[in-house]
Amino acid sequence: MAKGYAGKILKINLTNKEISVIDTAKYEEYGGGVGMGAAIFWDLAVAPGDWDLQDAFDPRNVISLMSGPLAGTGVPGGGRTSVCGIASETFPTPLFHRTSFGGRFAMMLKFAGWDGVVIQGKADSPVWINIINDKVTIEDGNRLWGLDTYEAQDEITSAVVGRTRFGQQWQQIEKEYTTAMPQIVCIGPVGESMTRVAALIHGSGVSARTGGFGGVFGSKNLKAVSVIGTGGIAVADPAGVVDTRLWHTRNYPKIMYASPGTSACMPCINNDRKRNSYYGGESMCADEFWYMGKQQSGQMMGGDRSALMRGADVAIKWGICTWATKFGGAITLPVQNAPAAYKGMVPMEPGMGWYIKYLYELGVLGPGKKIDSYPLPMDEWDTLKFREVFCDAIARRVGIGEDLAEGFLEAVKKWGRLEEDMNAGTLRLPAWGASWHHSLPGVDWAYSYIFMSGDPVWHGFFGLNGGGAFGGPARYTAEELVEMMAKKVVPFDGDPIIFSNSWKGEEARKTGVYSPHKAKMLAWARRYAGFYNESMSICEMLLPSFISSSANGIAGPSPELEYRYYKAVTGNNHTFADTIEIGRKIWNMERAIRVMAGRHRDQEKFAPFMHMPGATFPIGGDKPVYRDGKWSFENQNDLYLDREGVEQFKTHFYKLEGWDVDTGWPTRKTLDGLGMKKVADVMAAEGKLGA
Amino acid sequence: MTESERSEGRGKKMDRREFLVGSGAALASGALAASVPGAAEASSKKSSYSKSTGYIVYDSRLCLGCQSCMFACSLTHEGVANPSLSRIQIIRDAPSFTKYPYDVVMSVCRQCVSPLCVQNCPTGACFIDKDNGNVRRIDQSKCIGCQKCIQACPHKPHRTIWDSVKRKSTKCDLCADAPYWNEKGGPDGKQACVETCPVNALKLVKKAPRQRDIDGYDVNLAPPPRKMEFPMMAPKPAAKKGGE
Repeated sequence: MAKGYAGKILKINLTNKEISVIDTAKYEEYGGGVGMGAAIFWDLAVAPGDWDLQDAFDPRNVISLMSGPLAGTGVPGGGRTSVCGIASETFPTPLFHRTSFGGRFAMMLKFAGWDGVVIQGKADSPVWINIINDKVTIEDGNRLWGLDTYEAQDEITSAVVGRTRFGQQWQQIEKEYTTAMPQIVCIGPVGESMTRVAALIHGSGVSARTGGFGGVFGSKNLKAVSVIGTGGIAVADPAGVVDTRLWHTRNYPKIMYASPGTSACMPCINNDRKRNSYYGGESMCADEFWYMGKQQSGQMMGGDRSALMRGADVAIKWGICTWATKFGGAITLPVQNAPAAYKGMVPMEPGMGWYIKYLYELGVLGPGKKIDSYPLPMDEWDTLKFREVFCDAIARRVGIGEDLAEGFLEAVKKWGRLEEDMNAGTLRLPAWGASWHHSLPGVDWAYSYIFMSGDPVWHGFFGLNGGGAFGGPARYTAEELVEMMAKKVVPFDGDPIIFSNSWKGEEARKTGVYSPHKAKMLAWARRYAGFYNESMSICEMLLPSFISSSANGIAGPSPELEYRYYKAVTGNNHTFADTIEIGRKIWNMERAIRVMAGRHRDQEKFAPFMHMPGATFPIGGDKPVYRDGKWSFENQNDLYLDREGVEQFKTHFYKLEGWDVDTGWPTRKTLDGLGMKKVADVMAAEGKLGA
Repeated sequence: MTESERSEGRGKKMDRREFLVGSGAALASGALAASVPGAAEASSKKSSYSKSTGYIVYDSRLCLGCQSCMFACSLTHEGVANPSLSRIQIIRDAPSFTKYPYDVVMSVCRQCVSPLCVQNCPTGACFIDKDNGNVRRIDQSKCIGCQKCIQACPHKPHRTIWDSVKRKSTKCDLCADAPYWNEKGGPDGKQACVETCPVNALKLVKKAPRQRDIDGYDVNLAPPPRKMEFPMMAPKPAAKKGGE
């Protein structure tokens, strides 16, 4: 087996309390992270054929917390924990979904000797899992049930290592020593009551937000998983890991400057978080945006941010998903010809917290109204107190909290407003009930929404603009940018047209956002992200880094940098193209699971607002466009998608991926070619193979 | 202004950790050394030592808590990524939520002017390396695993490291002997931890820091604050008048 792996995966069945071991080598062909998690999900939840994969809270749901081989090896950003399983949050049905969280959990899992934890079944009363190196126990969690995530982690830390040792002394664990603390992922009260808007929380502000996996933990009566380990991870080329890191930081210095009090996930070089404090913990932008009402918006760019950070603390302590429930209302749309509903009212990124205020202002929600707002103090919507009552109502399923606990669009549907507000463009959730997140003008991000299960959370191509996301002049021409990028996207290299974001007229179909060229850009994004970000578990906020911020040309360190890390850690003899091919295999495994859960071409559609003026986030920068044989940067703040064009694109994309163009299902030829014959056999038996 | 001088005015209250460290330093050549079997004999061999020509100072307020230095240390010295074998320990109180700046403890070998690890080693395995700027090192071929260097270290947590697999001690050598470090190490070279720190919260200095507490080592290394620039928010330049 390659280096970088601990060699075994922990499998726990909470129903019968069985603890067993999976040999990591069995899944090495899927890399790690989501790749391994999806393959294990297939074997445990799909292949047996006894479950329709429709209920996220079914005890048969398998949720995995997986590391990648780079975790715990010193590769910056390589320590994310990938999470996958059937998600509770997606709309209209639960879907197979993957998310991840940073921090120190995956690394500690490796040091304890495990590449991942796979959890199935349901405990008959609250439990938590205690991993101390090889020793794994299922502990009584009754005393933790009802605690917020800070309290729960404190209690578990005390139970594992005692209260007084922080920073004072080495801790002896059998014959080994460490100065570390146990690393814990847990749920808050919002997860315990099996709501569909609950996150997994790690530390003081790190979380896996999308997918509602907090509710899945709750359905299994699982409060937390704690791990502490004292071992190490062998790497193929230790000097190579360090040299690669120095090559990176010396040649591509970071733009953002560290200031005292900033923090980073281990062992990342991104100083994008805060050291532990009362307010905000390690929380990041999504959590701070959660609290933000209009009057707080100025605080994002300076000034007193304490109110935002106190809000983030509330969200993290309750364990609520700050994407689905966000209150953000800072940016409204001054777009010409935009739907009447906008009129300065509808923000770019509406969430549940904003929507109830919207209905309140329309006069349909409030005390004694058609939608009774009890117990929410609607006249105090802007306050921290409101946020706390909001979380409490959802966690206890009190009053309107009962509706909200079932998810944003489920609540909207129950209130009879789904069709009206979808068609009006008010509900700007691009697909599968997932919140808006930079989905346009970068169409690779938008398309990923429909082909996956919502937000891909992948910024890789986000910055391919004239000027940065915050404006400013470009240091390069559009032609220089696409020529540089065209060299990087092996095996689709040599075709700069794939980066043209032309969206109008015949050009859009020939070379732009609906063209076969664009299909290659999306395919590369999914394969790269599937391998390097979701399975090697490198933080996508760090890598890929395609554009250099230094004065030495425009080419950033990706993908050479991550490939060098991969080689130095694992010692695998793969070419870069081989790694992208593994990404394709992972992508097809995800696809196979989604197809078995009911996915069909007909379902892969955008919400109506994506086809209306105003669909685009207006500060994304200018996109490269190829027109009449020339490249230029074009302001695309007015971009929206054509329905027929999207259907044409789907056909191009399915063809490229080797999927049936009528159903979107992978063909036997495609799966066999990827070494996935057993997967194809199961799909064939269910009549789910593409023709 | 030296780092030590700059650190004077930081107004950091002495917490329990510093008190313990300070107390340990005060006991340096006295009670603690005498309590270790064999220490008296070892200490009688020599009462003073040549100073190291290099010391790592650090800034616990600037540190990200990312532990990059720990990985760099264990990778370059041991060839594996193993924080337990790192000669520098960054201990971050997550998830117990101690308030900044006390949430991070940087446990860095001080290359003590009066090194109790050297003084108490019964075999001479822990020694002053005159060929490498007098850095205090452990020669593992001579180490018998008695752990006296660990017991004698007055700092909490102790800066000498126990390798439970080899059953020998080790300690920071400023990368004088780091087989997987492709740069010149030692007090006159570069150290893997210093070089990999993403925010320059570690620094090699030549002059011995003040020994009596941690303030000589835990210094202000923060760069001057730089203003974030958002071009889109900058005021637009006034239109030029004709002829100018």
